Amino acid sequence: MIDLALIITIIIMVVKVGLLTMILFSLPMPLTWIERKVAGHIHARLGPFRVGPHGIMQPMADTVKLLFKEDIVPEKADKLIFKLAPLIAMIPAFAVFVAIPVGGTWTVPFIDQEMNLYVTDMNVGLLYILAMGGLGIYGIIFGGWASNSKYALLGGMRSAAQMISYEVALSFAAVGVVMMSNSLSLVDIVNTQGGGFWNWNFFYLPVGPVWFFIFIIAGSAEINRIPFDLAEDEGTLAAGFHTEYSGMKFSFFMLAEYIALVTVSVLAVVLFFGGWNPPIDYTIPFVPIAFIWLFWFVIKVSVFIYMFMWVRFTLPRYRYDQLMNIGWKILIPISLVNILITGFMRI
Amino acid sequence: MNCSCGVGKRIKDFVKSALFLDFIKGMHVTLGYLFSKSITIRYPDEEKWIPYQRFRGRHTLNMTSEGKELCVACELCSKACPTDCITVIPMEDDTGIGITDRVAKVWKVDLVRCLFCGYCEDACPTRAVRLSREYELSTTDISRTKFEKRELLLPESVPEQVHGGGIAKAKFVRSKDGIKIVANLGKMKKMRW
Repeated sequence: MIDLALIITIIIMVVKVGLLTMILFSLPMPLTWIERKVAGHIHARLGPFRVGPHGIMQPMADTVKLLFKEDIVPEKADKLIFKLAPLIAMIPAFAVFVAIPVGGTWTVPFIDQEMNLYVTDMNVGLLYILAMGGLGIYGIIFGGWASNSKYALLGGMRSAAQMISYEVALSFAAVGVVMMSNSLSLVDIVNTQGGGFWNWNFFYLPVGPVWFFIFIIAGSAEINRIPFDLAEDEGTLAAGFHTEYSGMKFSFFMLAEYIALVTVSVLAVVLFFGGWNPPIDYTIPFVPIAFIWLFWFVIKVSVFIYMFMWVRFTLPRYRYDQLMNIGWKILIPISLVNILITGFMRI
Repeated sequence: MNCSCGVGKRIKDFVKSALFLDFIKGMHVTLGYLFSKSITIRYPDEEKWIPYQRFRGRHTLNMTSEGKELCVACELCSKACPTDCITVIPMEDDTGIGITDRVAKVWKVDLVRCLFCGYCEDACPTRAVRLSREYELSTTDISRTKFEKRELLLPESVPEQVHGGGIAKAKFVRSKDGIKIVANLGKMKKMRW
């Protein structure tokens, strides 16, 4: 005899995972549109304008185009790895979201059931996310290697070196957050930041802002965005690791890239800006608390996504040696010192 | 003395980079552009650029107000043409007397060869041939690049009196000759350079 409660738990979990996957699959579409709009307006242009009102249907047109494009596999490529690489790049990006909480535990009105607005609350959630985020690099380096092209290989190699050096600083930033919140579980980390914006880790003075800037710099290097997008430096490497990719395979890389962008924004919100907690606690009558949580979560994440796009169209790209200098000679020593200070503050 | 200057500069640079001052300056510039007005002309869909009067586009042949052709087929335009793109064959029509009888039997211009220098315009003694402000000359049909007298005599899309140098509201017009963008000359605004 199977326990009914267990079946219900499993069904709820499957539904949550399905919903999450669907949201993540559809998210890159508006994001590409927004990115192109932001680019356009910063360049004093209009951005996409012809497909639908204000070009809002442009991602659809792009999808159709990508679906119908010829899927070229270079003759001398390592066929199996070449086909596998986009998936390897994409899966960790999705898997990360299993551990990310978008809201706390909420009692559903009328049926009096408790519902968690996250898939799982791992007690090592942060570790899991860092591990999964680190795996994403395999897709890039496999793609670069399997293409059998010098540009792709160099792009993949650069990306690997860059990710390994910034992974250290990123993990140190995570360690700082763990020290400030006394937990590795993301739900606990958010819960310790509740009660008002002065409790957020960012405002844990003086170390909070330093951890945040280390995290955001290392994070943007981790997801290969300008100013650290050496993996796809179009001036010297054509398109970097995805030079040889076309059609849907290319779009999978793009998908992984945009989801990584969302991941870093979400992590920045969860680790430093109080996750779903509103800046000042309040309740509105007849509005479930979950809506307030979701509202603030989405607002904060969108601010970060917008900031990443804004930075992208402001800064030029770093040279490779500058990139390594920033990673090893600046970020890591600062984070070591910061760990010391945080440790003293937590005694 | 020199040394202390160097130290001062280094401290200044350190403070600058520690507080991301240059970065903030850059972000401020792009934020300003983000809220500035776009300079895009939404050309085929909604707007069209109306050139200045001095603009040299496709040729037109002009007529008097009574509808008599100004061209006297003197062939000066064809002689002045550096690329030899204008063909003029004269004939005498039976309406007038003397030199004014002369009209062009054929007045043909090959726009693929034309370089829009305006020498034909300068050479013309009767101001019959003018370069108009018609610039939408692209076509998929090579025969559409040669213009005969019949078409050149049609009135210009942008009349001589219109000052130009602005952006007018426009709309798409499809015909069997291709797509034309017809501008509403009444509503014109200055270019936002």
